[in-house]
Amino acid sequence: MRYDSLSIVGLEKNTGKTECLKYVLDRLPVQTKRIAVTSIGIDGETVDQVTRTQKPEIVLREGMYFGTSEMHYRQRRLVSELIDVSDQTTSLGRVVTAKALTGGKILLSGPSSAIGLRRWMQEMNRFDIDLVVIDGALSRMSSASPAVSQSLILATGAAYSANMATLVSKTAHVVDLVNLELTDDATRQLLMPLEKGVWFIDKDGNLHGLDALTSLSQDIRFEGIEDCKTLYVAGALVDGFLEKVRKNKNLKQVELVVRDFTKIFVTPQQFRLFVKAGGTIRVLQRSKLIAVTVNPVSPSGYVLDSDILCGKLSEAIGLPVFDLLKNKQCN
Amino acid sequence: MLDHLELQSGFARRWLLDSSMMTDGGEIDACYATLRRFDDFVERADKTHLDTLQFRLQGLKDIRTTIKNLSQGAVLDDIELFEVKHLAILSTDVAKLLNEQGMADVVEIPALDEVISILDPDGMKIATFYIYDSYCAQLKDLRNQIRQNPEQQDDLLLQASELEEGVRKDLSRQLHPFAAAIEQAQLALARIDVNLAKALQMRQMALTFPSVSADGTCRYEAMFHPQVKAALATRGRDFQPVDITYGMAPTLITGANMGGKTVVLKTLTLCQLLFQFGFGIPAASAQIAVKDEIYFCIGDEQSVEKGLSSFAAEMKNIDAVIKASRENKKLLALIDEPARTTNPTEGAALVSALLKVLTGKDMSLVMTTHYDIEPGEARCLRVRGFENGEMDYRLVEVQDGEVPHEALNIAASLGIDSEWIDMARTMLAHPN
Repeated sequence: MRYDSLSIVGLEKNTGKTECLKYVLDRLPVQTKRIAVTSIGIDGETVDQVTRTQKPEIVLREGMYFGTSEMHYRQRRLVSELIDVSDQTTSLGRVVTAKALTGGKILLSGPSSAIGLRRWMQEMNRFDIDLVVIDGALSRMSSASPAVSQSLILATGAAYSANMATLVSKTAHVVDLVNLELTDDATRQLLMPLEKGVWFIDKDGNLHGLDALTSLSQDIRFEGIEDCKTLYVAGALVDGFLEKVRKNKNLKQVELVVRDFTKIFVTPQQFRLFVKAGGTIRVLQRSKLIAVTVNPVSPSGYVLDSDILCGKLSEAIGLPVFDLLKNKQCN
Repeated sequence: MLDHLELQSGFARRWLLDSSMMTDGGEIDACYATLRRFDDFVERADKTHLDTLQFRLQGLKDIRTTIKNLSQGAVLDDIELFEVKHLAILSTDVAKLLNEQGMADVVEIPALDEVISILDPDGMKIATFYIYDSYCAQLKDLRNQIRQNPEQQDDLLLQASELEEGVRKDLSRQLHPFAAAIEQAQLALARIDVNLAKALQMRQMALTFPSVSADGTCRYEAMFHPQVKAALATRGRDFQPVDITYGMAPTLITGANMGGKTVVLKTLTLCQLLFQFGFGIPAASAQIAVKDEIYFCIGDEQSVEKGLSSFAAEMKNIDAVIKASRENKKLLALIDEPARTTNPTEGAALVSALLKVLTGKDMSLVMTTHYDIEPGEARCLRVRGFENGEMDYRLVEVQDGEVPHEALNIAASLGIDSEWIDMARTMLAHPN
């Protein structure tokens, strides 16, 4: 894709994802760059059905492009010019693309799958868009996958865990996964076309398929692959598989490669044990984590101390952390 | 064949699937005349023109609901107005492209310039839409106020939306008389898409233009089954094409097992359908007669759900052919090994009688069988069969319907258990 893309993902409902999106949109240079905004998956209603908190409309600025459903387009509160009606349908009608001619409010509900989102982004190519901003689905990482967007902002907060230590360590785990390093170029070229199955590369660089469809297979065996240098899981990486790899004496020092961080479904404990035992996890595609934002207020009313939280989190992940409502940065 | 048709728009596919089989020779001729023009265009057009046309056709959407609303006098919303404008610009673009290629007379696309000018008051000629400022001076003022006073936005937007609704009403009224033309333009684009895809498919699959047979005789030279041919090609083998001619007298095909009799029937059925839907025909040359109805009875459609055995299902299918043959319709019936699942004595009697019943009716009948039956007026064709260790799938005309006795040789060539086959040979040699 010619342009950049940024995905904003919340680790839980009410972690301030929408606030974060607003913050970003308010500060983008609409005069010099063409910005397009959409959302993946939708929640639909103005009031959150799960937690009964208000679901804000997004305020767009004049000149921004946006993708939303037919239904939300009809409810828009701004003047806009329709530029495309796609064949993609969502539960709220087809996805339409328009350009805001005045500033104003809109409910965003874009394509409902990562594949649909990718298609929409490809269609955007026609309009010379410089940056696509994606309002990611709650607790779903698919829109943040490097296959879709090149960079992401992570929103976390008291809603994810009201215990500060737990919140910090759970968030740090996600950050660790996002920041996993790319494997070397040759390995990437070799593995990129493989979209399913479990594979390994021996020390002479030869690729072998393992007799298992996914890493979920109960009867996966590693016998007879003593000279394995790299192990590749094309699909989901889960705890059981990681544990088996760790406990196999031939595979302790192995480089384990997954497609991207959204394919990893392992607990922080298993992940740490694997790394401690000498294993490495690398990825084929990587997205750049730009920042982490926190919302210290949980919907149940529990409030964490913003300064201490930002400080601890920033220390744990080595990245700037922002509390956008307090509008300050803690390092 | 449909799956291999490179249609650019979903609407064209739906239009094609909704269309019914042509049963008029003149209509079929006209359809092929159009296709010839597209074939000629594909032949001489450079790739850029072709790509541009295909790319444009990708933009064809199914807006029948919108057109229906418009023709019924409803007020269209912004999205519907956008769809109308998009189609109008698209059809004008495509008409221009075809015109440049000397194809303006092939498919008539109604001119929608007025529709465009209604929906494009600023003359920008781009397929985007909103209720433009130039529709209403008051609206323009309001929008400027909205930009300047974001805090009063909600009030102002409400006022603006009332004005916008008035404009929509006015636009819908102006567009109302064009509903039929818009619908025709949409259909014309679908026809172009379908014809272009058919023309490209003719090249890819080496299909031919058929001629309409006046005397009921169908004549195919080097006919092939595209799917079987493609499957063989992936294994590095060639499909052996078949020549076949049949008329109004019944045609009986006999031949060894695995001699391709069923494939011949399937291909004939396919060709007949392709012909009556105006597609290219998989043969070197083809002359085909128009039929009102086509029956293909393959005989292995047992239906557990309906409680029919394969024999019962087959009898019902053939019964439908006999009933249809008594009505005043031109039929083509292709029947594969009728009564094969019952005992040979009764089976042969059923087939002989069927041949007699269907002889002299206004129909073409092509039937395969393994039974030794009296051909009567029927022409008999035989698959050449096993020669020098290879199967020759070509058909030869023979004087009687005598069936070949090659089943054991063929079974042996398949590597079937020799104890079984040898014992069968012994039993044939010494019947008692």
